[in-house]
Amino acid sequence: MAELFLEVRCEEIPAGMLQAGTRELATRLFEELMSRQLPARTVETAFTPRRLIVTLDGLADQEPDREEEVVGPPVSAAFDDQGEPTRAATGFARRCGVEVEELTRVQTEKGEYLSAVQRTEGRPTIELLAELVPQILASLSWPKVMRWGAGEGPWVRPVHGIVALFGGQVIDFELFGVTAGNETSAHPWLSDGTFAVESAADHGRKLARRRIVVKVENRRKKIQDEMARLAAAVGGRPVEDEALLEKLACICEVPGVVEGSFDPAFLELPREVLVTSLRDHQSAFGVESDAGLLPRFLTVMDRADDPAGRIQAGNEWVVAARLEDARFFYQEDRKKPLSERSAELEHLSFHARLGSYADKTERLVQLGEVICESLGRADLADEVKSAARLLKIDLVTEMVKEFTSLQGVMGGVYAREDGASDEVWQAIYDQYLPASTGDAIPSGPVGQIVGLADRIDTLVGIFGIGLKPTSSKDPFGLRRAAQGVVRIALEGDLAMDLDLIAAKAFQLYGDRVTVRGKEILEAWRPFLFDRVRYLLGLEGYAYDEIEAALAVGGTNLPDVKARVDAIHTVRDAPGFLPVVLAAKRISNIVKDAAEQSFREDLLVESAERDLYAAFRSLREETEAAEAQGDFVSCLRQIAGFADGLDRFFVEVLVMDENVELRNNRLALLQSIQRVLSRTAELTRIVVDRSEHRDD
Amino acid sequence: MEQLSLQGLILELSRFWADQGCVIQQPYDLEVGAGTMHPDTFLRVLGPEPWRVGYVQPSRRPADARYGENPFRLGKHYQFQVVLMPSPADVQPLYVRSLEAMGINLAEHDLRFEEDNWEAPTLGAWGLGWQVMLDGMEITQFTYFQQAGGLDLAPISAEITYGLERLAMFLGRSQSVYDVEWVAGGPSYGAVRHQDEVEFSKYYFETANVDFLRSQFDGCEAESQASLEAGLVLPAYEYALRCSQLFNVLDARGAVSVTDRVAVIKRIRNLAVACAAEYVASRERLGYPLLGAWQEGTDG
Repeated sequence: MAELFLEVRCEEIPAGMLQAGTRELATRLFEELMSRQLPARTVETAFTPRRLIVTLDGLADQEPDREEEVVGPPVSAAFDDQGEPTRAATGFARRCGVEVEELTRVQTEKGEYLSAVQRTEGRPTIELLAELVPQILASLSWPKVMRWGAGEGPWVRPVHGIVALFGGQVIDFELFGVTAGNETSAHPWLSDGTFAVESAADHGRKLARRRIVVKVENRRKKIQDEMARLAAAVGGRPVEDEALLEKLACICEVPGVVEGSFDPAFLELPREVLVTSLRDHQSAFGVESDAGLLPRFLTVMDRADDPAGRIQAGNEWVVAARLEDARFFYQEDRKKPLSERSAELEHLSFHARLGSYADKTERLVQLGEVICESLGRADLADEVKSAARLLKIDLVTEMVKEFTSLQGVMGGVYAREDGASDEVWQAIYDQYLPASTGDAIPSGPVGQIVGLADRIDTLVGIFGIGLKPTSSKDPFGLRRAAQGVVRIALEGDLAMDLDLIAAKAFQLYGDRVTVRGKEILEAWRPFLFDRVRYLLGLEGYAYDEIEAALAVGGTNLPDVKARVDAIHTVRDAPGFLPVVLAAKRISNIVKDAAEQSFREDLLVESAERDLYAAFRSLREETEAAEAQGDFVSCLRQIAGFADGLDRFFVEVLVMDENVELRNNRLALLQSIQRVLSRTAELTRIVVDRSEHRDD
Repeated sequence: MEQLSLQGLILELSRFWADQGCVIQQPYDLEVGAGTMHPDTFLRVLGPEPWRVGYVQPSRRPADARYGENPFRLGKHYQFQVVLMPSPADVQPLYVRSLEAMGINLAEHDLRFEEDNWEAPTLGAWGLGWQVMLDGMEITQFTYFQQAGGLDLAPISAEITYGLERLAMFLGRSQSVYDVEWVAGGPSYGAVRHQDEVEFSKYYFETANVDFLRSQFDGCEAESQASLEAGLVLPAYEYALRCSQLFNVLDARGAVSVTDRVAVIKRIRNLAVACAAEYVASRERLGYPLLGAWQEGTDG
């Protein structure tokens, strides 16, 4: 048993690529060795911006020997008339490294063939690694690769050194002109030169002595603890920002923290501006106490100390310059209230064919009002319209031009400063929520409504000029917009028919859109439903439950969800699966039949008369429950209908020779089908759970 | 070491890179947006010939002009540009030594290389690399060129672009670029350049004659094409550079609409791409005169 230790040293790899690159290297090494019967007992990875490190322990020294049956020529061609082996037979034996006498025969579909057992002796693992390691290293799937020097590469960044040890022995290979060995170094220009390492443990010790922390989680922890300590010393805590912490842990190998302060006069800037400027320009955390931000920041350096105070002073100088810039933008922006700048939107193009943001604003005001009406919330219309009018103006502000990540937020802040109501400024502030899976939807109904209006307007407009996204290209972010629509409608419990809103949006575009309204709706529905399937699937509903509800629920998404939930609840109730089977049977029987008329007096068998009586009460009760939105009750009643249906099918022959009786029974089944498929399309339910996809 | 003036930085960088065997070139005598556009970068990185060069390039960015009122932004700034082709294996440590040559003692500073890739659509060029951060300040753009004029490059060049004003401001902790000492104990940056910033801001934003500039653009484009047809790639490239700069002025003047923009960029790129192809062919015809120009040991 021996340890494979691998370290690749290179120039700084972009922070966002480190984790995936290291993981891929480890996984592929593990799998390639596994496929050669060389399982590793443990796999460890680590990385810094300048090194990828993988250790696989517990590997055998030697590949196991392999035996493999090889099929050769057909027996008919292997021996001549005298029974002597032909050249086909001797050649085959030679290739397999055995004598002709050692060949055996196998019966195959095509006849009898010669075969041989070929033995391959397992190679020493270290030899195998000398081929595998460079192959895998060279073919890692980096998002972007480069060449250097005479044309070396391609790799993510130039490679400078490789340590490759198996059981302490150097694995002999060369990659990009670099020969693997046992020497590494700490820092490319500050370190004490190169030094030899014997194993993963030795490497770890020697780097730790030079203050390099190779595990990203340890760097992260160290940075976090040190920042918390420094912030606490001034009565504060770092402003929470997981993504920034992750980034900082990926841009240093010696995780040192720099603290600094800035002129408290900058605290007059909105908190969002300060925090964003510090983060985007300086990769720095703001520091806050319960009373608000403190005039301080925290960031990292790639070294342990700041012996002359120059690093802190430098960072403070840059932060001051950046905040000075931000203050200039803020003051420019605040020369006029937002409401006086709406004309500037006329010069900002939303899309060349769909007009300016001023045009979009006009549409949003009207669409917002329509949504309020559909929801029966006319009381919100004034605030929705106010928010819609101000919604996009921040796109022309200096601050948003500088920090695009502040779009929406800045509009909200400025509207608040201009005296807008809490509902209105919050709606503007939240308009891009949810931007990603982890985000909440806008907190209030006004924000939810303008958020919906904005996204539906975009979806309909872009679909309306024939620019539907493809599987690989979605330049207008329509998938995210649709996801936003679905999440806001579901989580905000906004019960209304989204098709009607889309139709209104279409109408508001007038002749700017070129695709016909019907086609847009046909395209947008499945697009929306894909997101519904995905999101409800995440909540644990089975795909057939979702399909059964979507088939009847249309684009009123809270309604769809209530149906899905009802199916999920009732699915295991007695009678439910039998009624599903019956519904499928009915569907098969009536699928080719024309619509028939029904006459009660033509019911002759007792089973069909009883069925009809039960059906009439079922129809009444489910209609009442449906009207109340009580889908669970509907489905329970339908499940209770299973016995009657079963008896009917046992005792009554639908396809009677008498045409009149036959058509009457078909008519009864057609009516029953309509009721069975009203709450959910029961035929979509999968009965045999083994057909069930994992979801 | 004593704090260096702006020209002190230029002198030290020139000395340092001269010692590395670089041709110390002079600024290109045309207005350009960046040191990369100097033919000693854009054209020299093409083809198989080695090349090592260092020069100052005044770089004009009309849209960044601020009437001399903004302490950080300038319509014209100075870059010190270094190209090493092929990129030597020790290019990073070499760069670090150039900082030390300017008096930056790295035992007291934090130096980090943060991902920042470079792309110039008008030149059909891109590269991968970093912005180099010294104590949190971006002081250098460091790029491995991968493509120029739409052509894949081999060997690969390393381009090191020092922002001289930023460096000088940062090292001197100046509150304004205009306070930077141009000459130690002598005139400041403002004394030397302020009028230039004020007048050109006014020209770029207010008075530049749009019709005249547009007709100049058309004329320069035609002249570039005609020069190419005559097999004169260097004049052709010069006229392409003029087009690029005219575009930048028109853009700052607000005379380029969103729809025009794409088309104009494409016209410039077409010129740059044609020049690149013709330059490679011309060097081949000349038998690649620079092959072997650097002795072993200086070019790697």
